[in-house]
Amino acid sequence: MAANDISMLGLLFCFMLLLIPVGISHYLKLQLIGQTLESTFRMAVQLTLVGFFLTFVFDLNSAVLNIAWVMVMVMVASHTVLKNAELKMQSLIAPLAISFAITNLGMLLYFNGLIIDLKDVFEARYFIPIAGMVLGNSLRTNIVGINDFSGQIQRNENRYLSRLSLGAEKYEALMPYMRKSLRNALKPTLADMATIGIVFLPGMMTGQILGGSSPLLAIEYQITIMIAIYVTTVMNVVLGILILMYRGFDEYGMFKRSMLKKE
Amino acid sequence: MFITFKVVTTFAQDPLEKAGKRMEIIRMENVSVTVKEEQKNKLIFSDLNLSVNKGEKVLIRGRSGIGKTTVFRLILGFTRPSTGDIYFEGEHVDPGNIWNIRKRIAHISQDSDIGEGPVIALFEEVFSYGSNRDKFKRNDLKNLLSEFSLREDVLNNRFENLSGGEKQRISIIISLMINKDVFFLDEVTSDLDSALKEKVAEFFLSNPEWTVLVISHDPEWERGGVRVIDFASIVSGTEVNGHGSK
Repeated sequence: MAANDISMLGLLFCFMLLLIPVGISHYLKLQLIGQTLESTFRMAVQLTLVGFFLTFVFDLNSAVLNIAWVMVMVMVASHTVLKNAELKMQSLIAPLAISFAITNLGMLLYFNGLIIDLKDVFEARYFIPIAGMVLGNSLRTNIVGINDFSGQIQRNENRYLSRLSLGAEKYEALMPYMRKSLRNALKPTLADMATIGIVFLPGMMTGQILGGSSPLLAIEYQITIMIAIYVTTVMNVVLGILILMYRGFDEYGMFKRSMLKKE
Repeated sequence: MFITFKVVTTFAQDPLEKAGKRMEIIRMENVSVTVKEEQKNKLIFSDLNLSVNKGEKVLIRGRSGIGKTTVFRLILGFTRPSTGDIYFEGEHVDPGNIWNIRKRIAHISQDSDIGEGPVIALFEEVFSYGSNRDKFKRNDLKNLLSEFSLREDVLNNRFENLSGGEKQRISIIISLMINKDVFFLDEVTSDLDSALKEKVAEFFLSNPEWTVLVISHDPEWERGGVRVIDFASIVSGTEVNGHGSK
């Protein structure tokens, strides 16, 4: 039993719902009408294109193409992290993309090969959506982690220097910041995990149930994907901060202020 | 270390000094420092020349913002000179040596900002560093706390909630316990009462093996055997700025 198809009339009804936020924005002078329409339009166009593209990719089901598509996702993810961080791209984008690629590919292979036990670990129907879930969900955490870390260094530089002058190596002196940033970054993900199922039913599970899977199968997938997301997130954010530790400091161990977008 | 202080109290008795064979600890040659401010290079000072020998006690004085703190920062590699050369125990201050040089200096900065959280946890952190491992002696800590009029339960308080004077004393105790013999003390007694200032000065100045550089406005540091340097006299170009680099 597959999900009921949504007719054009159904879609029209759905878009009509937007009259509510548009009306509120107009009445309360929120100046969000343009943005609401633009964002909705972009979402619809992007998803339509992706829909066609994925249909093509799924039909073709070529491992090379699937990996290439995931690499594009990794590049976009790395770019998004840095765009939202207070740091300049040049010296960070390549190592960040490489570390994302390694952790995400590693996790995908492990997940598809050992957990779901697929014959073809690159099978598009699994490989691409799971990559999207893992990457998408670790993005926010990465942005929080990297921003928190660079923010702490700037705010408490004297504390860092004090540690250096009390005998710490660079990594020893930066470790308290790293600990704090990791905690700050991972807490929301952990909170999400703790409330899942009760407060909200996640999209993947809902999708599977709508697609005709039994709730129990959907739950199995949801549990495993949540763990995969959390583990990948931890690896990504640790690597992101390590990259910043390595690239963000000069040979004297001083934070490179030239890396900041606003000096 | 604590015991050494109790036994040896007079700086002038050192035989090496009498023989004029003291090792040079710090050498700064024609050092100038500029900082970038609003896209312009601003001179902090130029032509800084300074030599400090082992065991010397040096008090650097001068008005605020003249660049005294920058001297410590230069030797520690936190600030780069625009010209000139700096040596520590004969080693050039450069990326190859700086990490090793830092491990031979106990430096307390003027804001005593060494961290946050329970004081005891700060001790644990400092003594977890590879270079300080095995240096923690519970007894030394106990003695130093009482020496500087701190109760032991201060260890359970959060560092950020301590008074300025307590923070300074905790920083002083840590710097003493990591077992170095070169000290850079930047306004470490400013928040202490007169009796404690006297005690801290006596503690650092009385060990003939220690090389101690002090930046302070407190008269307690001025005493026999201390070389007092008016910072303006060892540099030029200081009049062009009204602020130091921190």
